[in-house]
Amino acid sequence: MTEAVDPARLNALVAAVARARDRAAFQALFDHFAPRVKGYLMRLGAGSAVAEDLAQEAMLAVWRKAGLFDPAKASASTWIFTIARNLRIDAIRKERRPEPDPADPLQRPETERAADETVDWAKAEERLRAALADLPREQSQVIELSFLAEKPHSLIAAELGLPLGTVKSRIRLAMARLRVALGDGI
Amino acid sequence: MSITHHPGEELLIAYASGAASDAVSLLVASHLSLCPDCRAAVSRAEAAGGTLLAGIAPVALERDAYQSVLARLDKPSAEILRSAKITSEVPAPLQAYVGGDFGALDWRHITAGLAYFPLPTKGRTRARLIRAYPGAGVASHSHRGEEWTLVLTGSFTDATGNYRAGDVQSATPQVRHKPVADPGPACINLVVTDAPLIFEGLLPKIVGRFFGF
Repeated sequence: MTEAVDPARLNALVAAVARARDRAAFQALFDHFAPRVKGYLMRLGAGSAVAEDLAQEAMLAVWRKAGLFDPAKASASTWIFTIARNLRIDAIRKERRPEPDPADPLQRPETERAADETVDWAKAEERLRAALADLPREQSQVIELSFLAEKPHSLIAAELGLPLGTVKSRIRLAMARLRVALGDGI
Repeated sequence: MSITHHPGEELLIAYASGAASDAVSLLVASHLSLCPDCRAAVSRAEAAGGTLLAGIAPVALERDAYQSVLARLDKPSAEILRSAKITSEVPAPLQAYVGGDFGALDWRHITAGLAYFPLPTKGRTRARLIRAYPGAGVASHSHRGEEWTLVLTGSFTDATGNYRAGDVQSATPQVRHKPVADPGPACINLVVTDAPLIFEGLLPKIVGRFFGF
């Protein structure tokens, strides 16, 4: 699946759902994301009935939580990825995934950022896509196994027959490259 | 107070991808509450996840999928929103397990200065809180698997360094260490091990061992 979809357009669709409860925008998001979310869940081993249910739940969450989408924090694809990831974990473990709470008084604030220095995640996503495609195979492999086979590093190491330290260093190298691709401020 | 010891990138990516066990997720999420740098690293890893999702081979939904979601759009959500947290020494992700007050827990005493509280996380990794008063610590031990320790209150020291609130110590099977709580408030740690039996096996060794006395 390589059809190029403009991440900025997807962001705008989520914004339209949030602002105007725009059903046409929601349908466009559904048409784009629901089959990908289903594909992602099946890639991770879900049966098609479970993947179908969770994909529908994920899109329902997109409708309900659109107001919480913050384009300064993530692209629409990333936001929907986290929704699908969490729904899957909650469904498997019957328990809510532990996540930091921005309302936590203990939470230490981000370092101050200049007001004009907001991150454009939609643009960043395009750079990230290129960087992922550019990674050496041994690095992209560990990233893909982390996300699309959902294997912790110890299992990845066992599966590839590599020492744990080698897998960790490949992950570090890959993330360092992606960080460079994303640019300053991210 | 800044954090000097962070979880490894592989732990952050395991958390971002969803591959991390419940116990590891709890430790990472609690660290993220205290560490803006690692929150940024997790955002980057999630962006990689979003990019992979965007490129995944789509699988068609059932013919009536959109209609059936549409029919549910206006139904109220059963989801209960998390309530705002009360001021507490317990990071929000951990409050689901222990409430807002470490002091109110039913600590199980190992020695006069050392106690633990098991957390009911699921999966093969185990999570527990360990509380050590100044001078108390865990007997010298090595690990069969990996061990991660997040300092929640107080601080401790071992041969590898000094660890304060928010710091994460990662110990691989090769590491042999003997952590001792520093002077000051009680040192409470969230300890996660991916070889569940090793700590249980060590308990007899821990019992009766004091450090700095």
